[in-house]
Amino acid sequence: MKRIFTKFSVLTFLCFLFNYTAFAQNITVKGRVTDGGDKTTIPAVSVQVKGTTTGAQTDVNGNYSISAPANATLVFTYVGYTTQEVAVNNRTTVNVVLASASQQLDQVVVVGYGTQRKIDVTGAVTSVKGEDISKQASVNPVSALQGKVAGVSITNVGKPGASPQITIRGTGTIYGNTNVLYVVDGVWYDDISFLNPADIANISILKDASSQSIYGIRAANGVVLVTTVRGKNGDATINYNGTMGFQKITNAVKMANASEYATAVNEAYKIQAEPGKEFLFANTNLGAGTDWYKQALRDAVVTNHQLSVNGATEKSSYNFSLGYLNQDGIVKNNNYKRYTARLANDFQVVKGLKIGYNVTGSSSNSKDVPDAIFRNLYAASPVVPVFKANGSYGEPADFQLGNGSDINPQATLDFFNQRTTKYRITGNVFAELKFAKHFTFKTSAGGDFGQEEKRAYTPKYEATLAQRATNSLLAVDRIETRNWILENTLTYDNKWGDHNLTVLAGQTAQRYKENTLKGTALNVPFSSEGDLYLSLGDGRSIINTGKLNTATSYFGRANYSFKNKYLLNASLRADAASQFYGGNDLWGYFPSIGAGWVISNEDFMKDQKLFSNLKLRGSWGKVGNAGVPINPSTLTVSQAAQLLAVFGKDIPQTGASVRMIVPPALFWERSAGTDIGLEMGFLDNKLNIEADYYNRTTEQAIFDIPVFGSLGLETSTIIANQADFRNRGFELVASWSDQTNSGLKYTLSGNVGYNTNKVLNVTSGANPIYKGGAGLTSGELATRTIAGRPIGEFFGYQVAGIFQTQEEVNASAQSQDAKPGDFKYVDQNGDGAIDRKDKIALGNPNPKFSYGLNTNFAYQNFDLTLDIQGVAGVDVYNGNLSARFGNENYTKKMYDNRWNGAGTSNEYPSADLAGRRNTATNSFYVESGAYVRLRNIQLGYSLPQAITSKWKIQKLRFFANAQNAVNLFGYRGFSPEVGGTPTNTGVDINVYPLYATYNFGLNLTF
Amino acid sequence: MKTLINKNIQTWCVTAAILAATLVSSCKKDFLNVDPQGQQPETQFWKTPEDAAKAVNAVYANLRSWNNVAFNAIAIESTGSDEADKGSTPTDATFFNLYDTFTVTSTHGTILDFWTGQYQNIQLCNQVLGNVPGITMDEALKARLLAEAKFVRAFSYFRLVRAYGNVPLRLTIPKTEADRNLPQSPKETVYAQIEKDLTEAAAVLPASYNADNVGRATKGAAIGMRAKVALYQKKWAEVLSLTNEVIGMGYTLFPDFEKGFRVENENNSESLFEIQASLLLDNKDASNSQYSQVQGVAGHMGWGFNTPSAALAAAFEPGDPRRDATIIFKGETTPQGDFIPLTVPNERYNQKSYVPFNTKVSGYNEGAQQNIKVLRFADILLMNAEAANELGSPSQALTSLNKVRARARGGNPNILPDVTTTDQTALRNAIYKERQVELAMENDRYFDVIRQGRGAEVFGVKGWKANKNEVWPIPETEIEQSSGLLKQNLGY
Repeated sequence: MKRIFTKFSVLTFLCFLFNYTAFAQNITVKGRVTDGGDKTTIPAVSVQVKGTTTGAQTDVNGNYSISAPANATLVFTYVGYTTQEVAVNNRTTVNVVLASASQQLDQVVVVGYGTQRKIDVTGAVTSVKGEDISKQASVNPVSALQGKVAGVSITNVGKPGASPQITIRGTGTIYGNTNVLYVVDGVWYDDISFLNPADIANISILKDASSQSIYGIRAANGVVLVTTVRGKNGDATINYNGTMGFQKITNAVKMANASEYATAVNEAYKIQAEPGKEFLFANTNLGAGTDWYKQALRDAVVTNHQLSVNGATEKSSYNFSLGYLNQDGIVKNNNYKRYTARLANDFQVVKGLKIGYNVTGSSSNSKDVPDAIFRNLYAASPVVPVFKANGSYGEPADFQLGNGSDINPQATLDFFNQRTTKYRITGNVFAELKFAKHFTFKTSAGGDFGQEEKRAYTPKYEATLAQRATNSLLAVDRIETRNWILENTLTYDNKWGDHNLTVLAGQTAQRYKENTLKGTALNVPFSSEGDLYLSLGDGRSIINTGKLNTATSYFGRANYSFKNKYLLNASLRADAASQFYGGNDLWGYFPSIGAGWVISNEDFMKDQKLFSNLKLRGSWGKVGNAGVPINPSTLTVSQAAQLLAVFGKDIPQTGASVRMIVPPALFWERSAGTDIGLEMGFLDNKLNIEADYYNRTTEQAIFDIPVFGSLGLETSTIIANQADFRNRGFELVASWSDQTNSGLKYTLSGNVGYNTNKVLNVTSGANPIYKGGAGLTSGELATRTIAGRPIGEFFGYQVAGIFQTQEEVNASAQSQDAKPGDFKYVDQNGDGAIDRKDKIALGNPNPKFSYGLNTNFAYQNFDLTLDIQGVAGVDVYNGNLSARFGNENYTKKMYDNRWNGAGTSNEYPSADLAGRRNTATNSFYVESGAYVRLRNIQLGYSLPQAITSKWKIQKLRFFANAQNAVNLFGYRGFSPEVGGTPTNTGVDINVYPLYATYNFGLNLTF
Repeated sequence: MKTLINKNIQTWCVTAAILAATLVSSCKKDFLNVDPQGQQPETQFWKTPEDAAKAVNAVYANLRSWNNVAFNAIAIESTGSDEADKGSTPTDATFFNLYDTFTVTSTHGTILDFWTGQYQNIQLCNQVLGNVPGITMDEALKARLLAEAKFVRAFSYFRLVRAYGNVPLRLTIPKTEADRNLPQSPKETVYAQIEKDLTEAAAVLPASYNADNVGRATKGAAIGMRAKVALYQKKWAEVLSLTNEVIGMGYTLFPDFEKGFRVENENNSESLFEIQASLLLDNKDASNSQYSQVQGVAGHMGWGFNTPSAALAAAFEPGDPRRDATIIFKGETTPQGDFIPLTVPNERYNQKSYVPFNTKVSGYNEGAQQNIKVLRFADILLMNAEAANELGSPSQALTSLNKVRARARGGNPNILPDVTTTDQTALRNAIYKERQVELAMENDRYFDVIRQGRGAEVFGVKGWKANKNEVWPIPETEIEQSSGLLKQNLGY
């Protein structure tokens, strides 16, 4: 190995040596690029000197300037237009008219390990341009995709720095790694929150199994390919994008005020009828009291600066960018800062050999707030003042509020000191060699090295009875990741006659290592942050754990098209993963096949005027999931602290034993999916419609399955290849682009995805998986996964109404444990008892419909973007309402509608909502999670070129934007956008409230 | 020239790349064989005496787990009784009401969790009993370790058979799929196995340990536990002889009833077996007992569940110091100086699980250091008294009974006079009564009343019904998974 590297270094050195290759003398070529249809100028067209990396871009007025050899050929490319090659022939002015790619022949999309002409694609791949992402002014690139792509549903997480959840065509896998695979310039990631959205040139979403299957091992949840910006222009271009804005809570839930709260609590006491406790508040006239949301939340400022410099000399290109994000959370004290730096260089070493690298450094620093704060704010009683007259914290115990509302959230915030810092260096180096005319060999080594440290310090303090610490506690968690991936691919690309053939063969090896160190210490003094080291405390403890996975893979693919009419694609990937080492199923094989027919290119279509494009495509493929813990077939010994015995006077003696059984032979989880698509372009492609139907079956999905409690294992479940489930649906995208005679350019694009999810069968019989909302309701779980039903559907009692009288209670199955005002549950099996056997399916947390409407308008120097997005056919479990242990506050809605004596309500229960079995999972808490929102509205104004050119500015644009400004939904909680892991989705408790973001910004290009 | 160099570079690059690719794939086999990280594979365990000791330590450690000592144990072993109320606020953990009113059904989680907790102990014991015999080590130590595991297995099966009646009897590590689905054994068979384990354990276990090992099962613990198991089967002669044997082993009642329950007096002269628990500042995860926390004074030192009932407070004879030692009353100041404010939500709290407020360490479970008394000499004496009375020896019965009362009296001649009746029924009732107050809030009362055959009489007012509530239901999920092999208890 060492020898090889040495050889490589010598080689690299040599390559640089010969970097001075002379060329014919350069001249400056200028010109303007216009649209062949409407004759308007086209900005941002890429102009490149053929065979080099030298390039430029047209400005807003379609003008370009490039230094090129007098005998060079210039290549003009722009998405949606036919690429044109023009020989310079000693001219200094070359004007070009680009033909709109009416048949999209040369439009290129990024696919796994390469690119493909859009026309050749036989699977479902959606591309999103970088500018559509950066335009959203989202701090996370994935979040910007919301509503943009049919079949891709994105659930945003309000917490600054947190990544949104993304699901492609329904839940793909249940166990283990349920993230989509992100591939950034060839390196694999679970999460791309470290990327500055402005660094993204293109995002390609592989939606169907045939496109994904080239990533076999990790493709079960879908694949998102990210291509980052590389230098293009001849001269250095400097871009600055900056926004400044604020985030404001929206659709807040109104809570009961102090008087209302006291009234309701008294009612509850009356119902509870504990001797000597007829009421809690002698006086219920307490006014408004404390509005805890107002107390703890704020309009939070967010600033974002992105600066990039890119360009290219004759033999190299570069892109250097810096990003800075400073985001306050809507909870006071919460702040997140992210710094990113990225450098990408390509060198054309000699003709045919290109080497390059790109590296991203990212660091973030977060001042955290406790995870439970939103629950605390919801539950905190309005009768408790923030501070008492004497300056000490308002004390819930003064009011004998007891469990559930014994917290003063202000104290929670004040004594919470947690910082999370993350550092990450990631990137790759590559060499690309074109040889023998048709071959390209590419080798790439990527690495991802990260360190994350969470440091939490609780001082010794006394705020309230429930919030005090007799000693200080310092906890430091440190996670290190060291991952690498090696890839070698060989591509053969040839075009002869009517034939177009691309063949790819490749090989990769990857290694993922994680090391976690958790330390705690007591009685660490605090005079400054500099004291916060474990060594300064006593009672120190340390826990060290790790993970290691490796995989090796081979893959190949062939794309063939004949006369641009008949298309055929096939691929095969073979993966071996360390998780399956030693088992019978080390290798997983993932084939795919796809075919397409471009009907509009047929002779018989020549004379018709209706279709400018008509293509039918179909594909089938398999993908896999190796996301199981490290080799589950190895029986290991548990040496958990819980097994440490103590004898005599606190003499610890290490304990260890086997607490597991080997699950039945585990093997690769595989999904097979078919996709049939129809692409249609009308009216010279002004109107484009794309429709897809898909059906994907995940076979032998790895599930947690229950085992006998009497086996006495450490966990109540083991994993096994347990179930088959299916996601089936369709997608429709329609877009209309045109320009009016008055010069208004506009695009309207709508998309809708419909997906149904169903468990087809469960290998070991009818054992359901109960999950979701543990801790909500005294251990009663809120979701169930069972054959014939969707994954993780809500499961509970059906509420028939509210008991109005004691007689009604006595006559019911709940005679022993209900009172008037309680939920009356349906005794489904009529056995006279209400228990789990009476629970039924109550709702489906997997959205059936997700849709988006995206529009762009440009008129003279103004531009307007308006995006609407929503989901429908989805349910949410209102855990905030149901999780009650005592005298938590009530929502105003609950207060206003509560049962308060016979005949007052048959829907809302009494104020004793926490009493008896009212908190059991039931239909009252299951609500529609459908929403529609104005996702983004942006108005921009670019200064006329006449003015900016005086300042040597290419482009100066001001804009104002609002995200999530209008949200419509019927849900009684803060936000129906809940998310969660597959069997735990849609259970709303302690969810970050929804907020709108208002930004002002400017884009500046020199 | 230049072209030539270019050509050469190209050739080199191709060669190098192919070499690199070959290299990566050729080391494939080792590359995929990764060791479990931070976890010892079982194939490397069960080799040394240290492994044997560790596995037995794990058996003891698990006895303090949540399933064994906290909510689940309270619901199954205490809530149904007349001595304890749910506690905390009326709306907190309302599931306890299902156990208080006997409306619980087989699908409730606690039914499964207590069951699982006991079988977790049993699984750890079976690991020891299945693997330690194969380890080459000191035979005497090996025999002792095996005996310790047998004791804990017997104790866990005793808790199971009391709570559920007929249960699957797992005595080995399941190897095949078929081993995993075992039918229930009749409770007589389960009792026979418990007695066998205890007899074998008693034959090997030492009477005591050195200071570093106090808390392990002793001979006295095994014999005493066998006596209690015999008591539940009304094998009076056995109870009598076994308790006599324990009485002859030198155990004495701890002089101060209240102080006997404090942390500093754990494993005292009266103790036959206690579940060992500690608060280790450098090992929070090992300080995991929540026994004291869940019963602690609400808001101050815990959550305030399983509170002594008004009936219990009224059950003590006038002046009995055990009343104040068993119950923390709202508004009182404890002997350790903690004032219990009037603002706490409950009238009474369990004082036997009480740990003073000043021992609280933030971030750790309150009272994690409190041991859980399983068997103490007072119980042995009362069993001895009961068996003697049943066998027609009132004088021996009175001797043992009055020893317990004498200690409780604490030297005060004006209270708790000796019982003198020799009428079998009256004496039996006196012994029952003595058990109620002496062993109050130690999770004994509920099953004690049932084995006395007085369930309907004492708990009937709360909904307890004969021929059903003697046992709790078998967990529904166990029945579902057994494909009908497991049978539900009568009435559920």
